[in-house]
Amino acid sequence: MLRLILLGITIIVIWISSVPYLIPKKVKHSFSDAELREVALSKGMKSIPKKYDAFLKLLDSPQNPITKEKVALGKELFFDSNLSKDNRVSCASCHMLSKNPHNKNQFLDDITNPQSKTDCMVCHIKDQSGSDRLATAIGVDGRSDPYHRNTLTILNSALAKYQMWDASVKKSLKSVAIMIHDADKMGLIAKEAERKIAVKPYYKEQFQKIFPDGVTFKNITLAIDAYQKTLLTRSDFDRFLDGNNSAISDTAKRGLRNFIELGCKGCHSGRTVGGETVQHFPTRNYNYIIDVTSVFSTEYVGRDVAAFNFNFKEYHRFPFENVGGFLGKKEEQRFRVPMLRNVTKTSPYFHNGAVFDLREAVYIMGKYQLSMELTEIQIDEITAFLKSLEGEVVEYEELK
Amino acid sequence: MKFLYINLDMAFLFITGVLQMEFFNLSWSYFRVIEYLHIFGSILLIVLFIFPFLYSHIIGTMVKHKAKSKSGMLFGIVFMLLIVSGVYLFLVGNRGGDSLGNLSHIVHLYGSFVLLFLLGLHLKKFFTPSTAVKIASLLIVFLPLTSYSDAVKLTNVEYEEGVSRYHNIEWTNSTTCKACHPKIFKQWANSNHRHLADSNPYYMVLENLAGMDRGEKFRTWCMGCHNPSAVSMKQEKTTHFMRDNIMPDPLFVEDSQNLVDEYKAHPNRLEQGVSCIACHRITDASPKGNSSYTLKLQERKKYLYEDAHSDTKVWINQKLINANPKTHKEEYMKPLYKKSEYCASCHNEFLPHTGKMVVSTYNQWRDSKYNNPKNPKEHKDCIDCHMNYLEDGKYVGQSGLSTLGGKVKKSIKTHYFTGANHFLVGLKSKEHESQSLQLLKSSAKLDSAIKENKLLVGVTNVGAGHKLPTGASDFREMWLDITVRDRDGKVIFSSGKLDESGNIEKNSIVYNKVFGDKEGNPVGLLFWRYEKLLKDTRIDAGKRVQELFPLPSNAKYPLKAEIKLNFRIYPQWVTDVVKVSYPQLPNPPVVTIAKEERVFD
Repeated sequence: MLRLILLGITIIVIWISSVPYLIPKKVKHSFSDAELREVALSKGMKSIPKKYDAFLKLLDSPQNPITKEKVALGKELFFDSNLSKDNRVSCASCHMLSKNPHNKNQFLDDITNPQSKTDCMVCHIKDQSGSDRLATAIGVDGRSDPYHRNTLTILNSALAKYQMWDASVKKSLKSVAIMIHDADKMGLIAKEAERKIAVKPYYKEQFQKIFPDGVTFKNITLAIDAYQKTLLTRSDFDRFLDGNNSAISDTAKRGLRNFIELGCKGCHSGRTVGGETVQHFPTRNYNYIIDVTSVFSTEYVGRDVAAFNFNFKEYHRFPFENVGGFLGKKEEQRFRVPMLRNVTKTSPYFHNGAVFDLREAVYIMGKYQLSMELTEIQIDEITAFLKSLEGEVVEYEELK
Repeated sequence: MKFLYINLDMAFLFITGVLQMEFFNLSWSYFRVIEYLHIFGSILLIVLFIFPFLYSHIIGTMVKHKAKSKSGMLFGIVFMLLIVSGVYLFLVGNRGGDSLGNLSHIVHLYGSFVLLFLLGLHLKKFFTPSTAVKIASLLIVFLPLTSYSDAVKLTNVEYEEGVSRYHNIEWTNSTTCKACHPKIFKQWANSNHRHLADSNPYYMVLENLAGMDRGEKFRTWCMGCHNPSAVSMKQEKTTHFMRDNIMPDPLFVEDSQNLVDEYKAHPNRLEQGVSCIACHRITDASPKGNSSYTLKLQERKKYLYEDAHSDTKVWINQKLINANPKTHKEEYMKPLYKKSEYCASCHNEFLPHTGKMVVSTYNQWRDSKYNNPKNPKEHKDCIDCHMNYLEDGKYVGQSGLSTLGGKVKKSIKTHYFTGANHFLVGLKSKEHESQSLQLLKSSAKLDSAIKENKLLVGVTNVGAGHKLPTGASDFREMWLDITVRDRDGKVIFSSGKLDESGNIEKNSIVYNKVFGDKEGNPVGLLFWRYEKLLKDTRIDAGKRVQELFPLPSNAKYPLKAEIKLNFRIYPQWVTDVVKVSYPQLPNPPVVTIAKEERVFD
């Protein structure tokens, strides 16, 4: 008996220590820069147009043709807090941008002229992130979103196929009216908006010049939409796709490779690197697997219970705290895939802004969407790639 | 067969125990596991096999057959001693606080050899066939370990030193140190070293300004000393935490409760700023400055479960450390830490683009009389003042425990890191504020005289081993506040008062340095633009400076002069700028370092 045990132990030990040498090592195919670009382009990744013609081809529509004047008017409206119930919230309050995004000294100007802005905005306006950097948006009268949803960035959003976390809107134009009407955001009805805008001579004049029917709510949204379409950002990654091999670092290139190979690009697809599909989150519900209470009673099936520690810890439907209880499209935990352009500037992450760290977010995505425990090195590389998606708003000469 | 099993068990206990001896100098990856196996393996084997065997063995021989075996009796006694000492080592530990710990250690170590000898004596007649037993037991003990160490090595590959970066998991959170070093943790938690980065409003604004003015990459320069963990993670900027929509207010939080809470909820999140191991894992430092230190986080001897977060594992880990704390101490405490050169790696700063020194606190100390290694009585290192304890303005040292259950020390190296910044620490802890104020007040002395209708005021740097003020000293204000009244009580001379905006009025005597840019304009907040030194009135260590104030010629004597040497950690104009981003920040108070009231006839 003892001999058998000893023999068994010896065999197991030898087996365990020799396994790493027995498994044949896969030779990793290494991509050259050109090959990597080719693969990325063949998977549908595209760059943001540098030229105005290409931009028009992409976003112009006969219903709302983009003109220089309309964009300028839309910009005025975007930064105008009169478009809200309490005259304090403008589109730019949550989709934080500065009027001149290329003013490098914005921060110094703001802190030395304290009357202009105070608090978070002073530092964060220079991110030019098009989001508010808060977990959830704060609208009129200090109200926050009842579902505790995180503000999506407005940058590049016109290119996305779906808008909003639950993909309830398709065209960027439609989202403008929804935000202005929403009682927790800007809280303004159409008539009131028209009245507030029409009293200003500048607006009245501009509207009559651009639209045949003058100041109407529809025209307000059209003008704002024209402006938001111009908020496209070009990043190092775009320059890489356009043929500049040295635009992104080697780490970012490995990150791009991981991004494609591990399957991230399956959902974060297209020119916007996301925003094109609606997907279930989380696809892997580890919590459910180890919830043993359902074995004993059907009463407990699907209830919020234990995470990882059997039933000792509170269970959340998501790999983070379910603040706000938002469950996405049709309450099925289906969400519009967020766009990853400028993701480094738009923390906190996920629909309720529960995760503050990008590396943590990448880890969660790997584990819960792809069933992979990403290594620290892989997370480094993917984060470096995401960093290369960060860009500045393109200034088209024709719109200046 | 039963005997063979028991012998195997004993061999296991003995070998795993003996291997921990210094003599074997086992590599750490083996050691930590063997320590664990020794303790928990022993508990299992003794309870499940050895005790039942001993019971039936004793009943069978001594009770039923009335047999007497001296070696057996002795064996039993020594074995009990070993168990008692082992339990003590495990549950209480050998932390140095009580002599029992050391006694247990000696009994446990040498007792085991005695036990083996007695076992051999007891088993004399069975001894010959046990060679095979020994080989088999060796196999059992060693072979599983090789496979284990391979697994450890696999994960270690990415963390070999010489790598380009670290990861958050390597940055052991300071909260983990709290359990055994509560006093030191508390001192550090409210100190300026803890609040150098994300929780320091002044720093956050300045870092953002630096990024704006010289490009985002320039932030790394600041972060090298202010935020080592983020730099090692290749993070490009210092970030602050958010609790939902609210930025937790670290300004007023005592004992870093926010850090403790954050660690509980997210144990793997990176702790920013200067954490415990940021200093205690430095292996080399040069006085060059600009974070000229070497970190070694990966190749660190960790006890088993040192990185664990579950309560049970943390408990076991603490027991393992306590039972044999020598390695722990060696890993986190090095002779280097007591030298001033070590502090110099950050308390010397120069501009990377021009090489100009902006902060040269260490160099000032080096050239002072306090740097006198030949005469140990006069030699004073940084830590002799800044990690000492003050009472009534005197360095008395703080006695007590730095480790729970450890030795009572006469003078703990306190971790208040007492310095001039009484303001930010004072918002959190009165104790820290009082230490800091005492230090400030011990730094300078005033003297005064009137000659030829001129008021002479002398200021002597008596306490500081560096210039007064030092540090980023265009952001430190030390000035003379003088009021002279004549016979009737009318103010005939005044200087150094605060104006309505809270700034010091012009033409006051201010001891500081002022940086100028290329064109010779003061740089203001953007001190990295420094090219020309516009003014330097700081007082060298041990030196005295004298100021002359002409009094009106028709003054009616006797004159009553009130002279104050005032200090403010940040000028009002700096605080005003920071308050735009942090409206909750109060104004720093003015501290009177020295005061003299005199009547001149």
